[in-house]
Amino acid sequence: MALEIVVMVKQVPDSQEVVIDPVTMNLNRSLTRNVTNKADENALEAALQLRDEVGGHVTVVSMGPPQAESTMIECLARGADRAILVSDRFFGGADTYPTGLTVASAISKLEKVDVIFAGEESSDSSTGHVGPGVAEFLGMEQATYVSSVKYADGFIIAERELEDGTEVIKMPTPVLLTILLNANVPRRQTLKRKIAATKQGYEVWNLEKLGMPPEWVGVRGSPTIVRKMRPIKEKERAAKRFEIDQIPDLVRELFEIGALKLEEMQ
Amino acid sequence: MSDFDFIVVGAGPAGSSAAIRLATAGSSVLLVERADPPGSKAVSGGILWGRDLDGLIPDWEKSAPVERYIDFKSTSFLTRDSKISIDFRSKKFEEKKTGYSVLRAKLDQFLALKAKAAGATLVTGITVDSLARKENRIVGVVQDGDTITSDAVILAEGANPRVAIESGLREPLRDRDCAIGIKQIVKLSEATVNERFNLTGNSGYAGEFALGYLEGGVRAGGFLYTNKDSLSIGVVIAMENLRANGSTYSYDIMEKFMEHPYVKPLVEGGRVQEYSAHLVPEGGIDSMPKLFGDGYLIAGDSASMTFSNGMIIQGMNYAIASGAMAADSLLEAAKKKDFSGAALSSYQDRLEHSQVLMDLRKFRGIDKVTWSRLVHEVAPGMMENILFSMFYEDGNPKKHLAEIILGSLSKANMKRSELIMETYRMLRRM
Repeated sequence: MALEIVVMVKQVPDSQEVVIDPVTMNLNRSLTRNVTNKADENALEAALQLRDEVGGHVTVVSMGPPQAESTMIECLARGADRAILVSDRFFGGADTYPTGLTVASAISKLEKVDVIFAGEESSDSSTGHVGPGVAEFLGMEQATYVSSVKYADGFIIAERELEDGTEVIKMPTPVLLTILLNANVPRRQTLKRKIAATKQGYEVWNLEKLGMPPEWVGVRGSPTIVRKMRPIKEKERAAKRFEIDQIPDLVRELFEIGALKLEEMQ
Repeated sequence: MSDFDFIVVGAGPAGSSAAIRLATAGSSVLLVERADPPGSKAVSGGILWGRDLDGLIPDWEKSAPVERYIDFKSTSFLTRDSKISIDFRSKKFEEKKTGYSVLRAKLDQFLALKAKAAGATLVTGITVDSLARKENRIVGVVQDGDTITSDAVILAEGANPRVAIESGLREPLRDRDCAIGIKQIVKLSEATVNERFNLTGNSGYAGEFALGYLEGGVRAGGFLYTNKDSLSIGVVIAMENLRANGSTYSYDIMEKFMEHPYVKPLVEGGRVQEYSAHLVPEGGIDSMPKLFGDGYLIAGDSASMTFSNGMIIQGMNYAIASGAMAADSLLEAAKKKDFSGAALSSYQDRLEHSQVLMDLRKFRGIDKVTWSRLVHEVAPGMMENILFSMFYEDGNPKKHLAEIILGSLSKANMKRSELIMETYRMLRRM
């Protein structure tokens, strides 16, 4: 049987270049490069592997501003069959609750869904809420922190990486899985596939298309209120060079500035 | 049937300009760029001189992400303790704008998106591996084993033209053809930039510096440009020169420039927003490859189209102009469906009749002046002596200017005849 697979992806600021505006305390996005969330690339790869093995289609769904275009094209170039960007100014400022609701609403518009993949969490907010949220809104079973996925006769067999070992679970579809960062190696994009992806294009779905009340989405639909943010002050650091025979001096100095403490030997 | 009429490798000023012209004329164009987004790997001093965009984007001055128009041009000689400057400011530049400070991360994206809007297929984040050949003609590009075909290819890869070199279409870069550029973007408030450089509105300052005070005879040039709320500051060091001074690190030179007593206060308190380094083509006409052949053209930095006389540094304007001319030549060739080297030689003709090759031919050998000991060390030292003697009041009887000059000439560490010859050569070449 052919599986209808959905992958939830998010475009995030490149975590290596994130700059916090010291005045507004918001992320300064004007100079940061936007990239596809790394764990979502792993989710897409897991979905593509499953499709290639079992057959079916992979549809990528993302919520974000128009510049998420590059992520949509990238997912198509890696091998997705269809890409939908859920985008509307009404969706702006959403916390994880309306984000999950909006993405779930978009997925519910698809004809049939057997498996939904999501990254374990996004690198910019690291909540890990949205994947499980979507499963709840859609009334679907879910498994989080999945490292590998197999399918057989209407069941997903997933391995979950837990603190004390690996858990193997078997669940009937439909099911939502969140995939661990670095669970696999995402396939490369090639020029040929990227040209095809650019020509194929992606769909943009707005609020009207989803038919949701505006007060359910975006900042109005968000129960989170951020009261205050403050930057973490960087500690002053210093470097000093000690030769091997000066280690006693090093120990003394560390002791004097309070970095080392004397403890009774037991 | 080819996949595209034309493929442009590289979405910098040269490549995007070519793609804009080609796509606007209705050709199918693939514009492929390794950086994602375009401009995120680019480094340039950051002044776009000239009006070459006029013919490509009619309202570019209003829509392009330009920072400030330059009305304050300065050339300075730095010694350890002193700064000797020639400043030129003019209201005339408000009427006739000649240069804008730009940030490449923004400008390159703007130009690439213009090409896309004109109908080009823009693919970013992909590095072309090599060129596809058929009976010695270039018929497309190869990436990850796939061949994408086209009637002709424009190579606009920038300062380090890997594909052109590996395909044997240009010689590998030699040390003497290159300099290394290091640049920082330092964030300050708009008000601070205005205050420190005595600017109003969106007028801007562009300063070049000869750094003659560096140890070991290292010769480097500095630059300092104002953006809206940041500074572009950097150094350019001749590669040969750097290599000969094995103990000198390029980043030390950058530090020394920024620590100079008359540079430091200008950048002080700013936060470094970007730190980058890049090759700078400096070889001029003598390091220029053959610009065309069967099925291909080379434009911009890839073809060593840069100009520097120490007072002004240009490259983006030549890139834009050569990109547009490469496109025009392809459009002309397309009428006869002939993309042979003979047909594409019209590109060379266009360049020869334009500022690009006229400038580069006329100023052949200018690098011998801009990197000379006279310009960097001897002349600044003499000027420092002369000016110091003139302005230092020690209560002794004053001297005539001629006496002072002759005095400092004898102190200069260079033979008088040699000095005169060097000066003559300098003036002739500049």
